[in-house]
Order: sequence, then C-alpha cells, then structure tokens
Amino acid sequence: MEILQVENLSFRYPDAEKCALDGVNFSVNSGDFIVICGKSGCGKTTLLKLLKRELTPFGECTGSICYMGNQLVALDADITAGGIGYVFQNPENQIVTDKVWHELAFGLENLGLPTEVIRRRVAEMASYFGIQEWFRKNTYELSGGQKQMLNLASVMIMQPKVLLLDEPTAQLDPIAAADFIATLQKLNQELGLTVILVEHRLEEVFPVADKVMLLEDGNLLFYEHPKKMGEYLRTHMHEMMAGLPSAMRIFEALSGEGDCPLTVKEGREYITKQYDNSIDRLEIPPYEHKDALALELKNVWFRYERDLPDVLRGISLKVYEQEIFCILGGNGTGKTTALGVAAGLLKAYRGDVLVDGRKIAAFKNNELYRHHLAMLPQNPQTVFLQQTVREDFAEICTAMGYKKEEREMMITEIAGKLDITNLLERHPYDLSGGEQQKAAVAKILLTKPRILLLDEPTKGIDAHTKQLLADILKRLKADGLTVLIVTHDVEFAAANADRCALFFDGEVISVDTPTAFFSGNNFYTTAANRIARGRYHNAVTCEDVVELCRKNMPTVEEK
Amino acid sequence: MRAFSSYHPSVLLIYFASVLLITMFTTHPLLLAAAFLGGICFCALLERPRVFLHSMLFYIPLFALIALTNPLFSHNGETVLFFLSGNPVTFEAFLYGVAMGAMFVSVLHWFKCCNRIMTSDKMLFLFGEMVPKLSLLLSSALRFVPLFQRQFVKISQTQKAMGMYSQDSYVDKIKSGSNVFQTMLSWSLENAMDTGTSMRARGYGVHKRSSFAVFRFAKRDAVMLALILVLSACTLSGTFVFGEVFAYYPRLSKIQLDASTGTACVAFLILCFLPFLIEMEEKLRWKYYRSKI
Repeated sequence: MEILQVENLSFRYPDAEKCALDGVNFSVNSGDFIVICGKSGCGKTTLLKLLKRELTPFGECTGSICYMGNQLVALDADITAGGIGYVFQNPENQIVTDKVWHELAFGLENLGLPTEVIRRRVAEMASYFGIQEWFRKNTYELSGGQKQMLNLASVMIMQPKVLLLDEPTAQLDPIAAADFIATLQKLNQELGLTVILVEHRLEEVFPVADKVMLLEDGNLLFYEHPKKMGEYLRTHMHEMMAGLPSAMRIFEALSGEGDCPLTVKEGREYITKQYDNSIDRLEIPPYEHKDALALELKNVWFRYERDLPDVLRGISLKVYEQEIFCILGGNGTGKTTALGVAAGLLKAYRGDVLVDGRKIAAFKNNELYRHHLAMLPQNPQTVFLQQTVREDFAEICTAMGYKKEEREMMITEIAGKLDITNLLERHPYDLSGGEQQKAAVAKILLTKPRILLLDEPTKGIDAHTKQLLADILKRLKADGLTVLIVTHDVEFAAANADRCALFFDGEVISVDTPTAFFSGNNFYTTAANRIARGRYHNAVTCEDVVELCRKNMPTVEEK
Repeated sequence: MRAFSSYHPSVLLIYFASVLLITMFTTHPLLLAAAFLGGICFCALLERPRVFLHSMLFYIPLFALIALTNPLFSHNGETVLFFLSGNPVTFEAFLYGVAMGAMFVSVLHWFKCCNRIMTSDKMLFLFGEMVPKLSLLLSSALRFVPLFQRQFVKISQTQKAMGMYSQDSYVDKIKSGSNVFQTMLSWSLENAMDTGTSMRARGYGVHKRSSFAVFRFAKRDAVMLALILVLSACTLSGTFVFGEVFAYYPRLSKIQLDASTGTACVAFLILCFLPFLIEMEEKLRWKYYRSKI
C-alpha cells in the first residue's frame, strides 16, 4: 500500500534563482526502507522537510504530497505531528528538556495525553531502546550516540507510521552509527515502520535499504533497488560512485556483470568466484620519510583534574615532517585529548611535547600558532566568529598580518580550492554540516600552518568532499605541511595516510604504514580489506583490490 | 541516603517549609535545640564525612561570632557579668546570642539538606503542576546552561589554536572575550531555533499540554504527610498559640514544662529527627536483610 505519494513536487526558496526541487515524482510503500543520497545541497533536506508538514520551509511550493491517500496540507495537526516522525542531524539541538524521562514524555505531553498513558508508553519505549540505565540522567550528560538514540525514541513514542531522518549518524562515531542504523532496521523489520533516511555513509545502509533515491540539483535521477545503483552510476559516469559501499565499488570498477554484491560477505563471494589468486599480493615500496621530526610526544601523561583518572598514560609518538599521520581508535580512548596536548591547549603533567624539536612550553605568547601549528576541532561551528564566512576569513588574514592586497587573493584562492566560493557571503551557522566543515578547513589553512592537527575532519561530509579534502592535504603536504589526523574513518586513513596508529587505553599501541597496519588488523580495518582477506595480501583500499583482481585472470566459468 | 528523598516532592516541600518556618520564628531554647541537633544530624548523613567536618570549620566560628557579638551590642538584661569600656555585658544578652547563633546555623543546615533533597526535577514538578509553561521553560533552561558553558570553552580553545586572541596581553583577552560572547549569542539563538523546530515537529502547541512526572503520590506519602502536619500543628499550638512566649529580656523566662509546651517540644523534636530516623531505620533494615541472606 502506498503511504506517501509525491507528484510533480517543486520548491523554490524565496529570492533563489534555481528551484531547490524540480518536479519530483515518487511514491513510498508502507514498510519501505528508503535511502536518499546525493551531494550536499542537492535538495535532500528540503525534500525531507516538505514531507513533514510542521517543518515546511517558506517558499514557493507546487505539486502535491499525499499521506495515506489524503493531501498532507489538509490533514489534522494531530495526525501529522504524531504520524510522521522526524529526526534531525545534530543530536544536541533537538533535545528540549533537561531529563531523559521528560524528553521521552515531551511529545505525548504536547498531545495532551493523560499521565497513565504516558507512563506506560514511556516505560515501553525506554525498554525497547535500552534506555533504562540512563532513564533518570540529565540529557546533557549523555554521549552523542545516546543522545541520538534518545531523539529516535522520543519520536517513536508518538507511534509514527513514517519516520524521516536527516543524516542522523553524521555526528556519531562509527560504532554508535552502526548501532543506530541497526535500531532503524529493527524498527523497520519488527514494526513495519516506513523509514526514509538521508545518509552519506552508505556502507551500512545499502544492505538494508529497499530502494535508493539519488537526487541532483533538485532532480530525481534514480529511484530503485540499491543493487541497480552501481550500474546506473557506471553508465552515467557519476561522481557519487566514490560513496558507494566497497563491495559495489569493486564490482563496478571491474565492470562486473550479474548480481551486484552489497555486503562484505557478498563481495568476498564475488571475487572468489570470479578471480583466482595466483598473484596474491601487492608489492608495497618501503616507506621513506624525512629525518626531521615535526611533532614528538615523549611519555606524556595527562588527566583533566587531580581526582580524575589518567586519560593519557605515557603516550609516545613521533610524526616526521611532511607526513600525513592518522590516529585511529574507539570513542573515549583519549584521541582528542592527545590532540589537545599536542596543540598546547592542554598541559601534560608528565612528559614532553616537542614541536620542531622545541619544547612546547618554550613557545611564548602566540608564537606557536603563527604559521607554525593550527588545529581544527571536532565541531567546525566553533571556528567561526563573524557574520559571514568572508568576514571570518578576512579576520584571520588580518590577525596573521597578511598585506591588504594579498588578502583578497588568498581568500579567493582557498575558496576556489575547496569549492566554497558560493558560500562566502553566507552566515557560517546557516551552512550545512558538510559545508561548515569545508569552510572551517579553509579558515585553518589561511593561517598557513606547517603542522596541521585535524580532529575528525571527515565527520558529516560526503564522499566527493572527502576526496577534495584528501587532494588538498596531499598537495599541501608536497609543499611541506605535516598533518596529524584523529579519525574514526578507516577508509579515509587507509587511502590517504602515510602512517597510522591505533590508540587504546591512553596509549599508542601500534604504528605502521596503512597497508601493514590494516592488513594486520582483523576487525578494525577497511571493508575492502575484509573483502580481500585471506585471498590477497596488502590490499586495503578498493583500488588495491581492483588492481589485484585485474592482474589475475578471471576464472573461466561455464554458464 | 535515599529513604527520605524518595517521598513525594510535595511531602518533602511541606516538611522543609514547616521545619524552616518554625525554626526561623521561634526563640524557644528547647525548640531551637531540637532544630539545631536535627539539622546537623541529617546533614551529617547526607554529606560525606570529610566534607561535613570541613564545613564545621566555617560553622563553629560563625556560631561563636553571633553568640559573642550580641552581648557587645545589646545591653538589655538584668544579670550583669562585667563592664566592657563602660557598657554592661549581660548574661541574658549572651544567651540570646547563643540562641540566635543556633537558629542561624540550624537554618543554614536545613537549607543545605533541602537543597540536596529537593533536586531540580522535583522543584520543576511542583511548579509544573501550577504553571505548566513555566516548568517547560525552566526545564529547557536547565538543559541549556551547561551546554552554553561547554560551548564557550570550546570556542575559546578553538580560537586560541588558530592563533586568534592568544597573546598574553589584556587588550587581546578582553577583545577575545567580547567576540566569543557575541558568537555565543548567535549560537544560542541558533540552538533555540533548532530546539523550537524540534518542538514543533513533535506537536508542540497542537493541544493543551498535559504534564507527566515520574513521581507518584502513594499511601506512604499520605501517611508521612499526615504525620508531618500533625507534628507541626502540635508544635505550633503548643508554643505560638497556647504557650507563653519565651522571653530573654529583661530576665530569662523559666522553661515551663506544662502539658502544652511539653507536647510541642516533643512533637518538634520528632519532626526534626524524622529524616534522620527514617534513614537510620532503612540502614538497619538493610543490615538485617543482608545478615539474613
């Protein structure tokens, strides 16, 4: 049965030249799991907001949206508020109250339900979502994953028939994100809930999706089963290819025919069946690095307060000049803290931090941050202080003491490089998560640092932008930049790092080149490596796997 | 220390209100002694021993200060102890000072206990019953304050690590402070807007709101409430209504142990030790349970 039917939907924001959505037609069956993907700014969020009547933005809207056979605009407020649930991207800002239990009850209070009903539903939801342990906690004490789970639960408590989610996992670490997606799948499978999800990270969601929708510049390009997506993108040479799950990318790069694999398991089956492994390894040239150390941590110990436990427990780390160094590791292991210590924001109580061979305490005033070292924090919002992105850029240029003539040129250049020229006049807070990230990176780069520290730079950005970022980092590296990245993104690290390290329990456990590092890991590794494991050695990225497969002859199969 | 605080918020509020009001308005030494001892015992249970003993370093001098300064300024009373630069220092004024000191210290202790027990969610619940909108407002404010503080620190640090406002000069520090603060304002607005959207998405304003709470008024709450009311009534009637006012000046009244004052004192003693007794009873009960296991 069709639960949502969208006909010829167009939407234009006031004062905008182009339509944000241009004649979109589709219908959603009850119980479908639908993934919407596309580049930042392609109209995904606008479409999602139009489907939720309470969030409809101001602007010119034509066409019709039917919910269960009735026009959405004509429905009762009760039905739309409860029947269609919406989860936002930022886990923090959609929480209304200070206590977890109150947040759960909030929606039902709005509908004016009696206490007894609320009590029962709250209990039910808390049990289903595993919230019992933190039921009486304050909402601001929760972790990001818990917050987003609470948001989901407090929407689900209103018993919606359709659930709309706008990049709900963009701000979460991979483990919390996988948890969240698994919960969505459970809701979809067990309750027959219709789910419409906007997402960048497709690795986990493709296997569970019934249909995938691809939007570009407000047009609906593709709306079919995920298995057919690869073929479509291949024939149209579309750049979304880079965002697909590894198994699909390998399959499409090899111009595979037949059933497209979606998961690691299917990917393994595919290459085992199609390619032999007479050539079973890639030769990796030995790693060469500069002799000079850009950054060194020597047996550093740190804790936030005297009575609190140690966060860093004797960490030692050497980053050579012109090196891209990635620190990987789970949540709460102290990665961000280590970065803070390296940036001189936090002071180690034992051990030394050396920047260019000089103790960090020896840098007086703001000498350290003048063309020397710069850090991009996890939340890109904190980077901006001005009314427009351009003003922010101008401010940092002034602070860095660049000449007036130079400034304009530098700003134009960096904006061009990062593809954000059209964002320069906007307010930083009006940008989407991915755009903010790009602008923040640009602002940091304007300080012309020699050592760049990045905390989760790929959080919330699409595959295309990720590639852009990687290219810029590599180019700057050639010009002499050293980059230290803290990230959860194993794919990004595998493709772009010179060396990787695993952070665990306040220490750096293993440091190696990405190939050796990821080949040595069994679980904490890339999907491509898991696909090739046991058959091919030293293959950690999709490109590696494809290269090896090509070297080997396809096994001849009788049909 | 959860037995007492697990009672219904309205019971707790009435309890603290009656103890505090009686303590503040009485001058009767026996009542004050009861409030003093009860408050200190309860507080000692709620606080960690080290913290409690440490706080005594503040309260003992405070008590001494009040007790000793009163006779210096008040020269009422018949029993002159000695003359200090021509002014009489009287026994009655000294005792009155002691009484006031005890009153002050016990009121402070009771407030401390009240603060510990009446947490924000309980207060919100109580006010929410009266003004639902106000309670929602307070609740979101309570969520917002810690977020604001955290964001402020984050922004300052980020700016520092980019080389903005990181000089050791005061001008730079003031400039940075005001700039960051301005940004915090737009951040707050932004945050509030998102929260507003989220509220609308969940049907805020569609109906008249109902108010949900995790607190339930059970039978034990009714019993406790009745007990508190009876004890307070006995105290009030025994001292303020029927009993004679205890006077310190010009000469100390005799402590009369007639029926009405007697009941009042006993009732107030029980009232003040109620939380302490409840906690102790629970402690013993658990000990007993455990020994049985």
